[in-house]
Amino acid sequence: MPEPRKLRVNKMFRAEEFLKKPEWRTIYQSMPTLRNFFSSDPNAHGFNSLLTSITSYLNNMVDHVENDDPFVWYNLGFNSELIYALGDACPIPVELLGVMHSLIGDHSVALDFIDHAQACGVPGDCCSADKLASGAMHRGVYPDPACTVGINTPCDAQVMNSQVIAELGKAPFFAVDVPYYQDDDTIKHVAKQLWELIPFLEENTKRKMDYDRLREVCDLSNQMTEAIWEWLEWRKHTPLAQSSKLVAFTLILQIMFTGSQEGVNIAKGLLREARERVERGEMFFEERVRAVWYQDPVWTDLQIYDWFERDLGLTVPVDIFGYYANEGLIDLKTPETMMYGLARKLVSCHPMARQFRGNIDVYIRDFMNMIEGWNADCCIFAGHIACKHAWGGIGLFKEALKKADIPLLIFEFDMFDPRVTSYDDVFFEVDRFVNEIVYPKKLRG
Amino acid sequence: MPCETLVSIRSLVKSHTNRYVDNWKDKGKPIIGYFCQYTPPEIILASGALPLRLRAIGSEDSSLGDAYMSSRTCTFVRHIMSMVLDEKYDFLDGQVTLNTCDHIRRASDVFVKKSDVPFNAFISVPRTPRESLYDYFLNELKKFINGIEEHFEVKISKKKLNQAIKLTNINRKLLTELNTLRILRRPKISGADALAVHVASQVLPPDVFASLLANLLDELKDFEGLEEPVARFVLTGTELDEPDYVKTIESQGGVVVADQICFGARSVLQPLEEDTDDPLDVIGRAYFFRTSCARMIGDFPNRWETLKKLYKDVEADGIVFQRLIFCDPWGAENHNIMHRNRDEENLPFLSLSREYGTASTGQVKTRVQAFVEKIEIARAKKAAGEQNV
Repeated sequence: MPEPRKLRVNKMFRAEEFLKKPEWRTIYQSMPTLRNFFSSDPNAHGFNSLLTSITSYLNNMVDHVENDDPFVWYNLGFNSELIYALGDACPIPVELLGVMHSLIGDHSVALDFIDHAQACGVPGDCCSADKLASGAMHRGVYPDPACTVGINTPCDAQVMNSQVIAELGKAPFFAVDVPYYQDDDTIKHVAKQLWELIPFLEENTKRKMDYDRLREVCDLSNQMTEAIWEWLEWRKHTPLAQSSKLVAFTLILQIMFTGSQEGVNIAKGLLREARERVERGEMFFEERVRAVWYQDPVWTDLQIYDWFERDLGLTVPVDIFGYYANEGLIDLKTPETMMYGLARKLVSCHPMARQFRGNIDVYIRDFMNMIEGWNADCCIFAGHIACKHAWGGIGLFKEALKKADIPLLIFEFDMFDPRVTSYDDVFFEVDRFVNEIVYPKKLRG
Repeated sequence: MPCETLVSIRSLVKSHTNRYVDNWKDKGKPIIGYFCQYTPPEIILASGALPLRLRAIGSEDSSLGDAYMSSRTCTFVRHIMSMVLDEKYDFLDGQVTLNTCDHIRRASDVFVKKSDVPFNAFISVPRTPRESLYDYFLNELKKFINGIEEHFEVKISKKKLNQAIKLTNINRKLLTELNTLRILRRPKISGADALAVHVASQVLPPDVFASLLANLLDELKDFEGLEEPVARFVLTGTELDEPDYVKTIESQGGVVVADQICFGARSVLQPLEEDTDDPLDVIGRAYFFRTSCARMIGDFPNRWETLKKLYKDVEADGIVFQRLIFCDPWGAENHNIMHRNRDEENLPFLSLSREYGTASTGQVKTRVQAFVEKIEIARAKKAAGEQNV
């Protein structure tokens, strides 16, 4: 298990400067504590592998700072493989730091980013994920980028985020357009842009794309994908043997780690944990109701899922952030096939980008696949207040669920800002739904 | 202001439809509604149909739209979809929606699944105006043409496209002439009325509009102009088709002498090349590379330069930015303008949030009044400084 890096002497001042920023220092220093805490459960391979990989990512980042390596900023609809394939370029998803602070339960930094973004002109009704990113960029916490990449998926919030990256990055910017449709022409259109992106990245990072290295990166990406698929299969087991809260990590894997050994390690850790728990017949809570959590996880406090499990017997085997469509393997044969495969991931697999970008049918169809595949009893539509595309389709979504006789809970909250809807209010809504609607219905057969 | 034509135009844009649209329908000719400035009306005109920009002016109730799209969707789209669901747009023979934004994209879902409009089309417009993406847009236009041809059993020939270009060019030239009358020291037309005229250009048959605007320009010739305003504004931001909202802004002594609104002056392209061998390419390029909407990623530097140039050209005193609540692309624009303006120009800037259909609010008046005062104080200080020198 890697420990926080001891800084090398030669460029220590730069890395020290970087780590002096309280926003990084808190994360960096809390990793060993968190790892100690979670390692008390020797079977928690999923969370432990995540914490180990985040530590490794942070160490790599420090190395990149020390070595004056180029940084590439991008927003959460993009994947990191092409950047990893440049060798020593460092990918920075601009939501990274705010999300990490939410994950470790340190709301002060996350809320500071949100408030700072609003003070700088990001309207209050915009997505808090963007505000985390904008606030962090305004605070100057990320190493300056050699160049920046923006993509319009999954939603308008990412259009906004891309615009802000282009403005605040003060570096050359490349926009990737993913059209509305879900077809082969769309994938080819995106692949064509990835071919354009490569010389852009090469020119600005002063690194050469090595297609053998890209093949290795894509191979790692495939290993991660296969592990995720197998993991999600184990999570179909009834009763659910692994903690609900882990399911949302697929998105983080795709954004931060895809194409890296860390990504493979996390995915295999999650898989191993799920498989072993099922094989041991483990059931650390009494499962009464299984829900598909559609829309956004409660990032501000993932422990709420533990509470759901313990107090309500509610499990969440799958959610929209965790669902990884079975279309994502990259053909490693040629650079062309790899580029097509990478484009297909962005169009058809990336959680949210797949469901949020096009028409409502994809959104509803994927939900139906989840409810059937993971044998769920109900849907919890956790309506992040700024997800306009989801709220914009709520009437049609409700009609589809009513037709299928699936109980549905809808509530408003903000996935990164607990000031909008309190933890207690979320729990109250879910409690009532489970105990008064779903469980009685289930008992009635 | 002695303008009968203006009174007529004001009245024509007070509803989502008008008597000329009714006449068109009565003649058995089709009408195709559209949402966004990236839809080329020339294509619709070339098919023999009337392009009608969708609006919800006069809507007082968005409850049907709320039910399907929630209160988190922008009120412009929600009100329109309420009217659609309330069958007020049932006279349409078709509609075309774009991936302009999440709201309009979801409006397409509701249109397709819940309305009786017989022809539904979709154009996916690339999210950045890069040359390498232009072919994709052109191909989408071709698909749109094929869809119209198939459904309406018509042929959209090059000749018809060229005719449509000629027809719309007439209005472009007239609107450009109108906009020059706005920037005089004593503007000959208010920003509210100018917006009404621009809106009319998107909801009337082009020949009818050309005739009205020619009359208006004629009537304005002898008009000496409005009182010299206490402040000259450039208006920018989200969709805005409500002249009353601009009237509220202007109620505090300022005048909107120029704008970059998609229903307003931004709707006016430079005249397109006429009688070409490839009119679709001419149309495609003009629309794809037009002064962009904030939905176009990475094009903010161009929009900012255009805004600054406009500001200087019309000798403005301040920028008024208005944004429909829940609009993310223009939310980013608000942030970026504030950021760039602070770093570069420090132009007087007022940012307003609004809901559709709530034009005359005290809050807007108060904020504009304070903005005008700020401009006047800065002007007085500058004059005093110059005297001291």
